[in-house]
Amino acid sequence: MRIGGIITVLILVGIGFAATFFITDEWVEGQVEYQASLLNEAKVELDDFEFSLWNLQVKWGRLQVANSNNTMQNTFETGDTEFSMEFWPLILKNKVIVDNVRLTGFQIDTERETDGAFEMPEDIEEDGKPGFIYGVVSQVSREASKNAEVKFTDVRDDLNVDSLMAKVNIQSIDKIDSLRNGIQQNYSKWDSTFKNTKVNEEVAKVRSTVETIKPKEIKKPKEVLEAIENVKKLRKQVDSLKTRTENLKQNFEEDYGTTRDDLGQVDNWIKDDYQRALNVAKLPDLDVQNIGKALFGQNLLGDYAAYLEYVAIAREYGSRLMGEEDSTKEIPRYEGLDYEFTDKYDYPGFWFKNIELSGRTKSDIDISGMVTNISSSQKKTGEPVKFDINGTDDNEVALTVNGELNYLEKEPRESFNVNYSGFTLSKARISPSDLLPYKLKSGKGELNVEMNIIDKRIDSRIDYLAKNISFDFEAAGQPKNRIESLIRNAIGSTDQIDVAALIDNIDGPLRVRVRSNVDDLFMNALRQTVSQEVENAKRKIEAEVQKQVEGKKEQLEEFKAEKEAELRQRYEELQAKVDEQLKVVEEKKKELEERKKELEDSLKDKVKDKIGIDF
Amino acid sequence: MFLIMRYIAKLLKALASEASPGQIAGGIILGMIIGLTPLSSLHNLLIVVLILVLKVNIGMALLSFTIFSGIAYLADPLFHSFGVWLLELESMQETWTSMYNNEWIALTEFYNTVVIGSLATAILLCFPMFPLATYGVLQYRKHIHEKMMKWKVVKAFKGTKLYSIYETVSRVRG
Repeated sequence: MRIGGIITVLILVGIGFAATFFITDEWVEGQVEYQASLLNEAKVELDDFEFSLWNLQVKWGRLQVANSNNTMQNTFETGDTEFSMEFWPLILKNKVIVDNVRLTGFQIDTERETDGAFEMPEDIEEDGKPGFIYGVVSQVSREASKNAEVKFTDVRDDLNVDSLMAKVNIQSIDKIDSLRNGIQQNYSKWDSTFKNTKVNEEVAKVRSTVETIKPKEIKKPKEVLEAIENVKKLRKQVDSLKTRTENLKQNFEEDYGTTRDDLGQVDNWIKDDYQRALNVAKLPDLDVQNIGKALFGQNLLGDYAAYLEYVAIAREYGSRLMGEEDSTKEIPRYEGLDYEFTDKYDYPGFWFKNIELSGRTKSDIDISGMVTNISSSQKKTGEPVKFDINGTDDNEVALTVNGELNYLEKEPRESFNVNYSGFTLSKARISPSDLLPYKLKSGKGELNVEMNIIDKRIDSRIDYLAKNISFDFEAAGQPKNRIESLIRNAIGSTDQIDVAALIDNIDGPLRVRVRSNVDDLFMNALRQTVSQEVENAKRKIEAEVQKQVEGKKEQLEEFKAEKEAELRQRYEELQAKVDEQLKVVEEKKKELEERKKELEDSLKDKVKDKIGIDF
Repeated sequence: MFLIMRYIAKLLKALASEASPGQIAGGIILGMIIGLTPLSSLHNLLIVVLILVLKVNIGMALLSFTIFSGIAYLADPLFHSFGVWLLELESMQETWTSMYNNEWIALTEFYNTVVIGSLATAILLCFPMFPLATYGVLQYRKHIHEKMMKWKVVKAFKGTKLYSIYETVSRVRG
């Protein structure tokens, strides 16, 4: 035994322990921040980080997760947080498995003091494509702003159509011209096809061959038989020419058939132009289906888009983590392959089983609740993320958020429910629409949002209830026009407004429907006032659009019919040539058959004359 | 440069007379195990402790580690194949499973094809390597050392200023 060696080992062990004691906090903090920032594509920062090697305990005073779309804002941040990692998964497989996390000071959408932009390494591809739910968010946001633009009380009878049409880009005329060019090109193509087809040439060849066969000049039966064989071959050739001609016709019909479909679209193009002109004129569509959207659409859909954005974030993270661990990698040299004899260590990269969360919302509601099973692979844990958070403030305003993010199956599923109730409506405007420009004197509100998303299918409902309300008509002064006065009368006795918005794409494209218990009241008031003006304005616009595209469709149809007739004539000429040749060949065959009979008969007569036996 | 020279000189000294053939052979086989197997494996920590604690020749262990690391790089695919064969041995499945389920044993990463393949190869090689190395040292001392000292290269090396400084320092240190 070497005494010096033993002392060296002991010194090395001592240095090792000392080093871990002094440098682990900073090193682990750096690693965690870097890896989390890679995943987040924006900075993830920890303050007052502590890591204890003895019990694998992690603590931090503040965690900020920057929003990659707006790096001056945090998606969320937390205050004091504490948890202990399981020993063996960390040591054996580098996996972070945590049973319980205590997380305080949770807040969403907080402002940052510094920019949270994170420079991604070049070898990591950034996902440039926005996800499906982000697409829906922008669709819903567009719908919300569109609803905000509808003006009911500004409709005038003296609509200046000329200035309006100057702003509208009438596209039908260009599209019709382009279609005309297409028809011309198609005509040229088929014209050249019919002119240059080899069928004409081959028909001429057959004709000259048939003409060389002269049955009357054939003297021997053997020669007749040979000629009949040749005619049979010619018949086959003409049959093949007929088939080719018919195929040509079929292709021509199919090709021209598509042009016919394009012609059918002209009416739709004109309708689109008309709709575009209506949109520029911002004329309201006086349909009860649209009243709810115009009254409450902007607010409700705005809220909905905000909630949906959180689901989009969840799906984005979920999809980044999904499948990552299932990817098969090539075995790196000198690293070998790990055999798994049991699933004992088949952990996900990280798994926070229970997170006890508390914090405060922007509207100062103290919230608390549980989030369970946040992991890097739900397939490995077999558990979806579930959350159930609620809270109330001193004024009994309550918030409940619960839901599930399920990525266990091939199709990702998110379900989400938010209930926000008891908030005061005093001095609030219930709708941004010009139809309801009044503040409320009193009232309490309740908002309930339910979303179910399975892959790309969304089914969601928002219910908004304003109860015990009274409108402050006095502050608005005297009604400015008849419509205002009618609306005041209609809603003056209403003490509750109940709105439901349904947003889904179950039967096709995204559908947004908003209905409320006051839609009919508003509809009646509008029918009595602006209805006539709207209809007049619409008629003017329609007439102007029709004027601009007038005759274009007919001219196009005429042009198309003329060209088609020319081509049909060419085809029919070709077909007639082939049919005629078929007839000639048949006749020649008949003549040869007759000649054959004549020669046979004369042969029989000669034999009879010589031997005196009648056959 | 001085360190390398010092290392070469020490090695030559050890080979010539300073260390026993057993100590040199011990250094060779322990260095070989570290060299052939993945460096970060847990068993290598134990081997390093053994090198430090036992009276094996550390210089020879370092030389052996360097040489066998190069060999291991070339033989890596063979170790992997051997590891696959070992881990898939039907008769061993129960043993591997119970070893795998024991966290302390699993720490050795025996379930990795290169770790088990290279370690088994290194252990098997220890049996012929130890007597061969011992024999080799004896043969060197008997037949080669004297001749080698007469080589021009060795003489030139011994004649360098650096070597004389090293000699002086060694004498002073005793």
